[in-house]
Amino acid sequence: MTTVPVLAEPGALTGSVAPGRPPGRRLRSDLVTALFMGPAAVLLGAIVVYPAVATVVRSFYGRNASQYVGLRNYRTLFGATTFLVAIRNNAVWVIVFPFFVTFFGLVFAVLTERIRWSTAFKAIVFMPMAISLFASGIIWRIVYETDPHRGAINAAVGTVVDAVHPPGLYRGVNITPTGPMHRERDGALVTDQTLAPGTVALVGLTGIAPGAVPPRAQPAVAPSPVPGGIAGVVWRDFSPQGGPGVVDPGELGLPGMHVKLVAAHGTAATATSDARGLFAFPRLGPGDYRVALDASNFRAGFGGVEWLGTRSLTPTSHLGETGRSLLTLPLVVISEIFATLWIWSGFAMVVIGAGLAALNREVLEAARMDGASECIVVVITMIINVLKIFDIILAIAPDSSQQASNVIALEMWRVGFTGTGDFGLSSAVAVFLFVLVVPVMLLNVRRIRG
Amino acid sequence: MAAVTFDHLVKRYGDNLAVNDLTLRIDDGEFLVLVGPSGCGKTTALRCLAGLEEITGGYILIGDRVVNDLPPKQRDIAMVFQSYALYPHMTVHDNMAFSIRLHKLPKAEVAAKVREAARILGLEGLLDRKPGQLSGGQRQRVALGRAIVRDPAAFLMDEPLSNLDAKLRVQTRAEIARLHRRLGTTIVYVTHDQVEAMTMGERIAVMRDGVLQQVGTPKELYEKPGNLFVAGFIGSPAMNFLTGRAALDGDGVRLVLDGAEVALSGRAGAAARSRGEGSSVTVGMRPEHFEVGPQGGQGLVRLPVQVDVVEFLGSEELVHATFAGSEVVALVPVASEVKVGDTLDLAVPDTLVQVFDPDTELSLDGDGPR
Amino acid sequence: MTATAMTTTAESLPGSARPRARRRPRAVRLLTRAPVNAVLAAVALLWLVPSFGLLVTSFRPTKDYFASGWWRALLHPATLTVSNYRHVLQTGGIKDALFTTALITVPATVLVVVVASLAAYALVFLRWPGRDAVFVALVALMVVPLQMALIPVATLYGHLGLFGTVAGVVLFHTAFGLPFAIFLMRNFYTGIPKDLLEAARIDGAGDLMMFLRIVLPLGRPALASLGIFQFLWVWNDLLVSLVFLGGARHVPITVAIFSQLRQFGPNIDLISSASFLSMIVPLIIFFSFQRYFVRGVLAGAVK
Repeated sequence: MTTVPVLAEPGALTGSVAPGRPPGRRLRSDLVTALFMGPAAVLLGAIVVYPAVATVVRSFYGRNASQYVGLRNYRTLFGATTFLVAIRNNAVWVIVFPFFVTFFGLVFAVLTERIRWSTAFKAIVFMPMAISLFASGIIWRIVYETDPHRGAINAAVGTVVDAVHPPGLYRGVNITPTGPMHRERDGALVTDQTLAPGTVALVGLTGIAPGAVPPRAQPAVAPSPVPGGIAGVVWRDFSPQGGPGVVDPGELGLPGMHVKLVAAHGTAATATSDARGLFAFPRLGPGDYRVALDASNFRAGFGGVEWLGTRSLTPTSHLGETGRSLLTLPLVVISEIFATLWIWSGFAMVVIGAGLAALNREVLEAARMDGASECIVVVITMIINVLKIFDIILAIAPDSSQQASNVIALEMWRVGFTGTGDFGLSSAVAVFLFVLVVPVMLLNVRRIRG
Repeated sequence: MAAVTFDHLVKRYGDNLAVNDLTLRIDDGEFLVLVGPSGCGKTTALRCLAGLEEITGGYILIGDRVVNDLPPKQRDIAMVFQSYALYPHMTVHDNMAFSIRLHKLPKAEVAAKVREAARILGLEGLLDRKPGQLSGGQRQRVALGRAIVRDPAAFLMDEPLSNLDAKLRVQTRAEIARLHRRLGTTIVYVTHDQVEAMTMGERIAVMRDGVLQQVGTPKELYEKPGNLFVAGFIGSPAMNFLTGRAALDGDGVRLVLDGAEVALSGRAGAAARSRGEGSSVTVGMRPEHFEVGPQGGQGLVRLPVQVDVVEFLGSEELVHATFAGSEVVALVPVASEVKVGDTLDLAVPDTLVQVFDPDTELSLDGDGPR
Repeated sequence: MTATAMTTTAESLPGSARPRARRRPRAVRLLTRAPVNAVLAAVALLWLVPSFGLLVTSFRPTKDYFASGWWRALLHPATLTVSNYRHVLQTGGIKDALFTTALITVPATVLVVVVASLAAYALVFLRWPGRDAVFVALVALMVVPLQMALIPVATLYGHLGLFGTVAGVVLFHTAFGLPFAIFLMRNFYTGIPKDLLEAARIDGAGDLMMFLRIVLPLGRPALASLGIFQFLWVWNDLLVSLVFLGGARHVPITVAIFSQLRQFGPNIDLISSASFLSMIVPLIIFFSFQRYFVRGVLAGAVK
């Protein structure tokens, strides 16, 4: 403008060096960039990017890397029951798991705000995140043991079941009568012949282990007839010397046996055997009676649910093979999902909890958005995790359930790296897995750019 | 120590011309303040000088070296940042020693230089602290210390006082001026605060929208602002401007405003007269030059005003008054006893009245620096 | 991506105290809180019992495992024994596997931290063409399943003689750890004031010096989170080692346990004690660096 003391034309002072970056400096800065970016670029190029492309290419070749097969690997996959099962299981995971983990996370996050020991609670629930998925699988495999003497869940369930339906004193499938008796459908033992009042009933049983007889049992004695009634004895009819159907010396009575007297119209009376196995139904009206040992005597205790078994939760027996592989829902899958909830709920809790903390501080409107977005983060994260689920299934499911709880990532490994190993087919599985995560990838890229 | 020269410097960010053809020479040992409102390009010019920005055109010289393509470390300059930019993980000592250690000075010499700088700045007791444990003023001094240990050709300071509170700012202002006297190093100092510029700079360069407006000593800028912008920017409270038409009658010149007239005499009158009858003219009067209703009329420009507000400042009062529909601010002695609602005359000696062309915004004062 | 928000906000695990909006009388509060406390206590128990079961099981002889539930052992502490551990640690296989795990984990962690810090520096503080595109590509790579690389890398390693070696596994883990690691470090570095680096540049530091003396020391919290996350990720891995070290003489602990899994019942002594040994290091890290751990896991869960 005005008052500037003008210093002649540009360059007049200084000679004729043209402005702009000289080539030497550019080269140097490129070198610096290469130094910093280089190691990452080499590793990512050689071990992530190039192999990913190579896998796509490889999926169009057969077991033999030089044999081009077009789309055959993909056709093979989608025709194979094992792969359909894997897809079905991953679908179940994706539908069920993110929802429940977010739900647990939200509930825990909200509730921890109201307790004093929230730090401890959060640490406890978050801890499984530190452990490997594989070790977590082993932890839960023990929890899920079928035998109530080993598996904690079945032990707990068994305690309840046995309280409602107490097991009988004489459990065991091998108990058989030595006299003419038959077994009813419900498991009760009933005499073949009818008895009239004044007679006696000899109910001998074998197949009872010596240890299974209650300690209060005393040697059995033959019953004396009761006038106008029916007396009887129930005993362990097993003695090397004696014969069946006869109360021999040294044979023990079976105490505590619930005995029923069955008339034509139904149960006429009940009794319980004493220490010598004796029971009696006095003062009966004339008629034909049968003596029955109630089913409850033989009822087994709770045997345990096969949590890691393949029993389906959906009725599919009427379906064809493909339908069954797509619509069966084996219990083992649900059990695996539950174990994984144990692992990831802490993560969901903390992520959502962070959102909730913001909710307390910030303006309500903005925060409501925030809380919602934290839940979305959890859901998306979990979808990715669940699509790639691998270790937990390998660790939890016993061999007999591995097929039924197969997933895509596991199938990729099985097809490629176990048995004879078909790299072409395995590559196709990997590509399929990749295609499934592409939407999330695009979402992330959009977020970064937006 | 060295002179610094901007020779037709241009810096462009995309379509935005941040520095537009800046030509300015800062003498060896001079304290020059680059001042202007935010976004005027002063900081960009400084960063170009530091080597933090690549320049688009022109030349920058330090001493007689063209430094256009030199990386910062080869320019032999030290910079004090607005944020101080202290390394938070290092002690005060290490902050100050960082650069000279990089220059591979012997250990003993590093220690000596740091000790000397700490002594000058009164930081001796704080050498083992981390920046986080220091007060704002102490951090500011560490930033200065980091610059002076290097004994550079020039100090570049980018608003170094803006993070201090008012009292500390006044104190540090003097301290930096003292430091400059003591070290004698060229300082290029950027600020948006004209008070800082006036009090510290040996010369001041005023920038606006990337363009250098005027360079001069504080006195020059105050007394002979080259244009309306400089006139309004330098001085506090700001200069009063009245725009009207020149009416020539005989010897006199009258400035005709809406429903009022002002008689212009002396130099101001001559300047207005040179514009011709009916031409539009802006006159500028500094608040501190007004007197209240003085007797006698020779050589005075008078404004009959109505007082709206009076602000008591202690020894003086700030009078907000209305003249011909515009606000006029005057700084007058308390003894003037001005009251709200008074109608009175404010008068300025005509030698102190500035005259501008409202279209070009340039000063019409023939004596002004052209 | 998702990690951006989380690294900054989610430090709430170490009991974030926040002001209570309104205070109700103590009695009312106690009454309303009792059910919440009860429910959460039950949940906490549910979360503790499974791990505790493994712990107790690992101190019981195999025959006891078949005879009764581990909770019975709590009534008869005398039946607990360290013989499983003694056996496992003396016979070598598991000890060797733990060592192999460490041998894989430590270098893979250090490499990721170093390489990612360097790359993040280039992405934040250096100007070069294609920088933004590279960053977007990294974000995309973050969710690529490692299954996509197993087969070609196995082939490649076969040619290079890396198949079945610890080095091969380390490189694989490093490469697949990088996209997230760079992402995390970049996000942290963008928070470092540019002034600091400009000051250092003027002070005479070159890029390497600025990286070593300014950026790396300031990035320590992020480095800690990243290091802990990567450490656990590698320590806990099964799949990668299974593929590249499946038949090798030295396998990591997860693979060693996996090979015993077919005999789950009879080998329960070995499986339970080895599993618990494999958990000790992660648990120690979890309890000593909870803050960094939570931050790292949160930021990294998007992997």
